[in-house]
Amino acid sequence: MEHLKYTPEMARDWKNANNASEGYLRKRVADSMNESQLESKLWLVEELTKLNIKPIRVALLAGWFAQYIIPLLYDNFESIEWIENFEIDQDVKKISYKFNKRYKDDERYRVLIRNVMFDKIQSGMDTIINCSCEHMYPMWKFKIINELILKNPLYILQSSDDDQHDDHINCVQSEDELIVQSGINHVIYSGSKILSNKSTRFMVIGR
Amino acid sequence: MKNTILCVKWGDKYGREYVEKLKQQCEENCSIPFNFYCLTDNPTEDYDVFLPTIWDVHENGKFWAYRKLYMFQEIQLRITGENFLYLDLDVIIHQDLKYFFDLPMNKPWIVRGWWNDLEVCKSNFSKFKSTPINSSIIRWNSNQLIEVYDHISKNIETIFFTYQTIDNYLNHFFYDMYGDKSFFNIFPVGDIYSWYKGNVFPDDMEAKKIRRECKVCLFNNSGEDNDTEELKLLWNT
Repeated sequence: MEHLKYTPEMARDWKNANNASEGYLRKRVADSMNESQLESKLWLVEELTKLNIKPIRVALLAGWFAQYIIPLLYDNFESIEWIENFEIDQDVKKISYKFNKRYKDDERYRVLIRNVMFDKIQSGMDTIINCSCEHMYPMWKFKIINELILKNPLYILQSSDDDQHDDHINCVQSEDELIVQSGINHVIYSGSKILSNKSTRFMVIGR
Repeated sequence: MKNTILCVKWGDKYGREYVEKLKQQCEENCSIPFNFYCLTDNPTEDYDVFLPTIWDVHENGKFWAYRKLYMFQEIQLRITGENFLYLDLDVIIHQDLKYFFDLPMNKPWIVRGWWNDLEVCKSNFSKFKSTPINSSIIRWNSNQLIEVYDHISKNIETIFFTYQTIDNYLNHFFYDMYGDKSFFNIFPVGDIYSWYKGNVFPDDMEAKKIRRECKVCLFNNSGEDNDTEELKLLWNT
């Protein structure tokens, strides 16, 4: 996967999102749109495609503004019916809805303000994507919190060895460390990728 | 007596003289009767209460100041009183503490650092830093904060792993920067100021300035070194 499909509808939504990102939000939006952010999402879609995964209802954990991953998922997986982004940051909702207005209007995307390490997500999700594992407690806790409402979902997890940021509270040094943290028992993919910012990103897919 | 003032002394950052000085300041600046207690790992005085250690087994290199939240189970600690006021050891009291005991108590009260730029706090919310909440002064009535204590006990490893300061933790779960859904009331503008950071952003931000019209001065300095000696110098001014 080498590119994001930049359509006229996306151009309209992104322009509106940028216009809405005033003051302190402008830098945050800029940070969310860097090269490495896109690289890691393209890598995720590429590996899911190779594995012939067909997600249907996707829980996106700590998805931030989700301006890359939402169109990438909808453009590349016809099977997807619904994506829900669980975020702790209340500023995310407004801007993410601007970036993804076309999906929100079609009732295919929603942002919920929820701390997934403390509270359950919605039931019925078959795919859990977390590209922010370095920002939170190990994912085994999420699995335990939701074990009664999620029926053996597929987990797609990414983390990083980039410990230069205060909010990277849970960096890992290998994909194996991410597997151990995740509580995933059946691994169908694990790998690493050096991003343009020189950090190494790790990804694990499994149940 | 129903009014109780509490402090916490753990470890050796602050010597016994800080407790004595705080007690003296309370006696000089509180016009109503009160009990005084110090929760400490090294009790030596009649007013000392042994600080529990039940959370210490979860020490992970990130856990330190959470110890002061043991005080939220004041009934279990058998601390006398109904109305509680916690003060950090590194404060200077300017005005009558009766003010804090007279506050309406539909909710407990905590410091909102008015010297913080709220936009910076919002921007850094998910980065676990720049919290507007400051736990240097807390006012609560009996049992009002057991909910906080229980939340920590129930989620202890996740909380100590994720939130490196109490203030950050409280900001994430018990304060609403965006609206009015806060668990805590916040002390009004001008009640509490910071020696190192100022009073009210952006208009009254001069640091290292005594403001006697405010009620209490905090010496919160993000763990930098010289604050204890600087405070001692101000004790005698």
